[in-house]
Amino acid sequence: MLLEAIDVTKTFGALTVVNTVSVSLNKGDILGLIGPNGAGKSTFFNCLTGDLMPTSGRVILNGEDVSMMTPEQRAVRGLARSFQVPQTFETMSVLENVMIGAFLRTSDPARARRRAYEVLDLVGLVDVASAVAGSLGTPGRKRLEIARALATDPEILLLDEAMAGLTATEVRQAIELVRKIHQTGMTLVIVEHIMEVIISLAQQVIVFHQGHQIARGTPQEVTRDPAVVTAYLGKRAAANAARGFAGDPA
Amino acid sequence: MKRSVWLLLILALVIVYPLLFTTPFLQRLGALVLLYAIAASAWNIVGGYAGQVSVGHVVFFGCGAYASMAFFTHFGWPPIAAVPVGMAASVGIAALIGVPTLRLSGHYFSMATIAVAELARLIVTNVEALGAAVGLSGPVMPRTVFDLSFTSALPYYYLFLAVLLVVLGLTYWMENSRIGFYLRAIKDNERAARSLGVQAGRYKLYAYMISAGLTSVAGTLYATMYGFIDPESGLGILTSVKILIMAALGGAGLLFGPLVGAAILVPLEEISNNLLGGKGAGLTFVVYGAIIMIIARFYPSGLLKLLLDRMAAAKPAPSDKQVRDVA
Repeated sequence: MLLEAIDVTKTFGALTVVNTVSVSLNKGDILGLIGPNGAGKSTFFNCLTGDLMPTSGRVILNGEDVSMMTPEQRAVRGLARSFQVPQTFETMSVLENVMIGAFLRTSDPARARRRAYEVLDLVGLVDVASAVAGSLGTPGRKRLEIARALATDPEILLLDEAMAGLTATEVRQAIELVRKIHQTGMTLVIVEHIMEVIISLAQQVIVFHQGHQIARGTPQEVTRDPAVVTAYLGKRAAANAARGFAGDPA
Repeated sequence: MKRSVWLLLILALVIVYPLLFTTPFLQRLGALVLLYAIAASAWNIVGGYAGQVSVGHVVFFGCGAYASMAFFTHFGWPPIAAVPVGMAASVGIAALIGVPTLRLSGHYFSMATIAVAELARLIVTNVEALGAAVGLSGPVMPRTVFDLSFTSALPYYYLFLAVLLVVLGLTYWMENSRIGFYLRAIKDNERAARSLGVQAGRYKLYAYMISAGLTSVAGTLYATMYGFIDPESGLGILTSVKILIMAALGGAGLLFGPLVGAAILVPLEEISNNLLGGKGAGLTFVVYGAIIMIIARFYPSGLLKLLLDRMAAAKPAPSDKQVRDVA
């Protein structure tokens, strides 16, 4: 087991945003977290990365309890992430952004630079290596964040809405990139709004609604789950959908 | 290649400056520019590169200055011999202040450093051993050459130049090593830096401690040259502000930014003091306030950055089209 969350709960005052959610991932898995806005998936995600500490429950990384560790401690232990709103180092070049990630495993600038170029090659940003990160558009920044995270040589990569704000073509390119990364043996957790992305990538999906995990399974299973349809579309649409499925000969 | 030619040319000019301009006023002015360039370059490490704007750096300046005068007064040390004492005390104080205050973000850190500096000034004003409100003096007559008490500013000029070169060399090395990259990353986006494993708190503290130690050297050199220190000159808020403005005006986070700032501001101040005499003291604050507003409004990254950007803009940027393709 590479990453495991056991009964993770996060409350802000009287508000319970994540309520006893558990997941477990083996090496090479892709886990999708989906749910309507405000369902708690980002909060849960941040409990995994260390940006938030769970109120109760545990997060286990490679057999070690990291529940109360800071993001930098978890990064050292092989966890890397991207941000929903890109958080690039705006005044630094694309290459330097990625070098910051690479410096986690070496203190030698020449080696960090070499590693950064390798990763930039993988994500297709080599041509803009010397451009200032602030000059990139949203798709470029999202790619840069993934590159920066990969440069830390993680065992698990957590992507927070890496496709949000992209056009259909860009989403397809981004999906290709995630596939490519997965083929290198990477374990992935992806938070996503776009169903197309989840269905084409994730092997296992957890659906959040109002802080609770309401469904879990393959993408095909959860999209047919009445509770999921209700959460997304409301009761009446769910009833219609159920009739639709009933009449379907398949 | 071209850049190094320029640098050598400027270095040569700086070396021959006091031989070309031999009047005491201009030699002294040159020495003062270098002295404040040392202090501002030291500030630049934490304020410019790490982006933690300390407005209380005079504490470390005062630490160096008071160490030299106090160890002369009580133990008869040559003032310059107290450099390690001042540095050690400054690094210790920086660690003590830094651990709780570097957690504060932005303006709150700045305000905390002002409070500490003012507190130090008030305490020293009431400590007899440190000369209280009257201050401490250095050797009246030089006992040996090690007292570094000269009438001419020329020896000070070259001493300060040597120290400045060491400080800039250290900054250059830092800029190109992991710590320099990390500090810039923390300045740009601390949360992102931490997600990549950067121990932000620790690196900010390192920068603060290095900066404090070097600022203390500037304080010792100041006291050695003037042979006198009191709470106002050694621990007054104006010195903190002066150091900060020089770095910001020239270009915070750039290697030569503080030197450029010092080369503009020190002559300005000396000339205005000469013209206005003792009455100009209050006016200095007004001028500094105006400079802060002008920097903030028109040149937030400093004059040197403005110049470098102009030079870069003159050349065509090759990757411009590719940036748009990806973006």
